[in-house]
Amino acid sequence: MAAITGVGAYAPRFRITSEAFEDAWGQFHAAGVTQKAVPSADEDALTMGYEAATRALEAAETDPDEIDWLAFASSRPPTAEEDLTARLGAMVTLSESATRHAFTGSTRAGTRALWAALDALEADSTTALVVAADAPQGDPDDGIDHAAGAGSAAFVLEREGPAEIVDRAEYSAPYPGTRFRNAGEDETQGLGITQYDRRAFTETIGGAVAGLEDEPTPDAVAIQAPDGKLPYRAAGAAGVGTEEIRAAATVHELGDLGAASVPVSLATALADGYESILAVSHGSGAGADAVVVSVASETRQSDGDVPAVTALEGDDPLTYAEYLRQRGIVTTGPPSGGGAYVSVPSWRRSIPQRYRLEAGRCSECDALSFPPDGACDDCGALADYEPIELAGEGTIEAVTTISQGGAPPEFAEQQAQSGDYAAAIVALETDGASETHRKDGDHAERNSADRSSGQRQREEGVDSGDETVSVPAMGTDADPADFSVGERIETTIRRIYTQEGVTRYGFKIRPAGE
Amino acid sequence: MRDAYLVGAGQSDYGAFPAESYRSLFRTAFDAATDSVPKGLEAGDVDEAFVGTLGVGGRQLGLSGPAVTEHVGLDGVPTTRVENACAASGFAVRQAVQAVKSGMADVVLAGGFEIMSDMSSDATKYWLGVSGETEWERLSGTTFSGVYAQMASVHMAQYGTTREHLSRVAVKNHANGAKNPHAQLGFECSLEDAQSAPVVADPLNLYHCCPTSDGAACALIVSEDVVDDYTDDPIRVAGVGAGSDTVGLFQRDTYTGVPASQRAAETAYEMADIEPDALDFAEVHDCFAIAELLAYEDLGFCEPGEAGQLIESGATELGGELPVNTSGGLKSKGHPIGATGAGQVVEAYKQLSGNAGARQVETPTRGLTHNVGGSGGAAVVHVFEKEGEVSA
Repeated sequence: MAAITGVGAYAPRFRITSEAFEDAWGQFHAAGVTQKAVPSADEDALTMGYEAATRALEAAETDPDEIDWLAFASSRPPTAEEDLTARLGAMVTLSESATRHAFTGSTRAGTRALWAALDALEADSTTALVVAADAPQGDPDDGIDHAAGAGSAAFVLEREGPAEIVDRAEYSAPYPGTRFRNAGEDETQGLGITQYDRRAFTETIGGAVAGLEDEPTPDAVAIQAPDGKLPYRAAGAAGVGTEEIRAAATVHELGDLGAASVPVSLATALADGYESILAVSHGSGAGADAVVVSVASETRQSDGDVPAVTALEGDDPLTYAEYLRQRGIVTTGPPSGGGAYVSVPSWRRSIPQRYRLEAGRCSECDALSFPPDGACDDCGALADYEPIELAGEGTIEAVTTISQGGAPPEFAEQQAQSGDYAAAIVALETDGASETHRKDGDHAERNSADRSSGQRQREEGVDSGDETVSVPAMGTDADPADFSVGERIETTIRRIYTQEGVTRYGFKIRPAGE
Repeated sequence: MRDAYLVGAGQSDYGAFPAESYRSLFRTAFDAATDSVPKGLEAGDVDEAFVGTLGVGGRQLGLSGPAVTEHVGLDGVPTTRVENACAASGFAVRQAVQAVKSGMADVVLAGGFEIMSDMSSDATKYWLGVSGETEWERLSGTTFSGVYAQMASVHMAQYGTTREHLSRVAVKNHANGAKNPHAQLGFECSLEDAQSAPVVADPLNLYHCCPTSDGAACALIVSEDVVDDYTDDPIRVAGVGAGSDTVGLFQRDTYTGVPASQRAAETAYEMADIEPDALDFAEVHDCFAIAELLAYEDLGFCEPGEAGQLIESGATELGGELPVNTSGGLKSKGHPIGATGAGQVVEAYKQLSGNAGARQVETPTRGLTHNVGGSGGAAVVHVFEKEGEVSA
C-alpha cells in the first residue's frame, strides 16, 4: 500500500493539571485526564503543524523539495476560510507545485488526511507529508474544554518504507449532536447524552475495525481520545485489550488532541518501537477510520526502526487563572489605539525572510545583509544580493525583557495572555557556520563583546564558518530570563500579530536544544 | 560663511496640559523667546521659520509648520516643518543656522512642539514606536524602551556598567529638574527610588525612562549682520554637526554607541575648533538613562566603556567638572518630542546668558546640545559660545 518513513510530533510546553481545574471549579469534567498541554498565546494549529512537520522531515531525512503531496488536518484551523496549506507549505519550503489538501470539520480529519495520502501514493504521488494539529476549545464550564489539550503529529509517507500501512477500513452512521460547532461559533459543544454518545463512538469504531480485511492483532492501539475513559470503553468494540490502548495513549498527559489525537498516539507508538499498531479515529457525525500499521521485521528491512523526532514533553505548569489568560478567555483583545501598520502586501514581500530566514550576499563585498534590501549593510553598495538561507541557529547579541507597559500596542494582547517576553538581536549563522560554532565554545562571547572583530571575521573569510548576520527577534517557548547575551538560540515559526483580521506568522527564537 | 548667533530662546512648561492646544503652547514658547531677546524682537523681524514636530496623534500631519507660525502672527513667512523623530527641532535649529549662514535669511525662528498627554497610552505608544524600524525591529516586540534596553544589555555585558549607574543618571537629572520651574517631573528622587521602580524593559525601569509630555520651545537665530540690533552679549553658534544612520539598531556595526552622535559631535567640535574639555556644560539626549551614558562616550566626555565611572564620579552633576542636563534633561524636564531639541537650546541660552536661576553654572563660556532621533537614526549637535569672552 504505502509506508511511513518519518515521524514528527509536538506539544506545547505548558501543562495544567486536573487538580488546578478542581481548585477552580470544584470538579473536573474530563475523566482520565491527569494533565493536559496548553498552547501559548503565539501558537495555533498552523504553528503546531509546522513544529511537527519540520521534525518529520528531519526524521525522514527528506528534502522538502521531494514532497509532492501535502495535507493539513485540524478541527480548528486558525482560519475557517482560507487555505492554510499554502502558508504551511511555504514554511516547510515545499515546492509550489506540490499537491495540497486541507482537512477539517471533524476530529477524524487527521486520519482522513492519512487516508487521502494512501490514495495519492497509490496513484501518482511519490512522497507525501501528512500534518495533523489541533487544540480543541469549548465553553469554560464544559467537559469538552476541560479535556481540550494541544498537540500535533506529522508523517512522511512513501511507497515503501519501514512502517507499512497494510490494511484500512472506514465506517459511518448518522449520529447528530454528539460534538459540533455551528458556522460562526467559536466553542465546540455536545448535547452530552451519555449513552447515545458512547453508542456513536463504539458503533463507528467497531464498524471500521470490522471492515478490515484481516482481524488485527496489535501490540499498540492509537484510538480517538475525547477524554481519558472513552477509548477504553471502545476496547470491546475494537476487539483489543485496554493494555494495548494504554500503550499508545497520550490523552492522560496531553488531553484531547482532536484531529491530532490518533496521529499523535500513532506517532508515539512508532517512536516507542511498537511493531503492529491499530489506529482508529472517530469523528462526530459520526464516522471512523481504522488503519493498520506494521513495522517491517528485520528480515524485510535492514533496520526495522521508524525514524521519529518527537517533542511532547512539557513541564511549565499553569494555574487556572494563567490558563484562562494564556488562552485569551479573560483578555479583552487588541487595544483601540492602533498598532504598527505593516500592510499585508508588505508583509508578503518579507515572507522569504519570515519563514525561511533568507538573507542576501552582497555581490560587491560578499557580506550578508538582512533583510536583503537596499544598500549593503557592510560596504554600502547598491548591489544585487544572492539569496542565502540562514541556518536557524545563532547567538544572542543584545536582549531585553519587555515588561507590562513596555510592549508596543500590537503586542499588548499577547502580553496580557502570556506575560513578559524577551526581545533580542541575534547573530544568525549560515548553514556552514553552525558546525564550527558548536565546537568553538567561546566564540559566542567574543562575538557579542566585540562586534567589530566579528565584522572582521566576516570580511576575512566567507568560508571561515564564522559568518553571521544580525536580526531582531522575539523570544518564545521559554522564560524571558532564559535569554541572555552570548546564549545560543534556534528559530521557530510563530504567530507574530494579527491586524485587519489577518494573522502574520514569522520566525521567533527559543533557547537552543529545546 | 556668515556667523550665526543665538539671541533668544524660550519654552512653555513641559507637562500634561488638558487646557492647552499645540498652538497655544507654541505661542507661549514664541512669546518667551521674543521676550528673552535683550533688545527685543518683533514677529515682523522674522524672515523664515523651521518647526519640528512628530505629529503625535496625527492632529495636523500636513502643514503643521504654518499651522503654528500663522497662529503667532508670522503670516507670509516661509515655514518648513522638520521631522526627524525626537531630533525634529534640533534639526530645525540646524536648518535655521544654515539659512542664516547661507545668507538667505537674517532672522530665523527655530521651534518645535508636541502634545502627547491627551490620548490613551496605547495610542501614545503607537505614535512613539513608529519612529523605530517598523517591519523588523518593532515587530520583534520593541518600542524605544526595548531597543535602548538592548543597548544597555550589551554595554553592561561588555563594560560592566550597572543598574546603579543607570539609576544615578535619574537621580542627577531629577536633582537638576527640581531647580527648573519648567520641568514636568520637578522633584528629587533618591537612588533607592530610582533602583526599585517597576521594570519597563529590563534593565530599564520606570526611573530610567523619560515621560511623555506636552510642550513647545523656540529659539531665535540671527546673522552677524544684524546681531547688534538684538544684543550686546552675543552668543555665537560656534559649531553644528549632524549625522544619520540605519533606523534599526540591528543593522548597525555597534550597539554600545550611537555612530550618528559620534559623527555629529566630530563635525561640531571641528567647526567650533574645540575639544570636549572646552565645554562648561552640556544638554544631552537622555530619553533613557543608558542614552545619557552612551552620549558621554559618543560626545567624547570619556573613553568608550567609562561612562559608568563618569556618572559615579559626580563630574556631570551641577557643580562638577562638566554639568550635564542642568535643565533636568528629558528625564525630569520632560520630552515633548518635537520640542525637545529646541528646548535644549533654551537651556543653553539661559545658562550662557546667566538666567538659569538655582541651577546656574558658574560663568559658563561654552555649552553643547545633543539631540537624537529614535535609537540613533539621526543626531544633531550644537556648540554655543559667548563671544566676547572667547575673543578676549
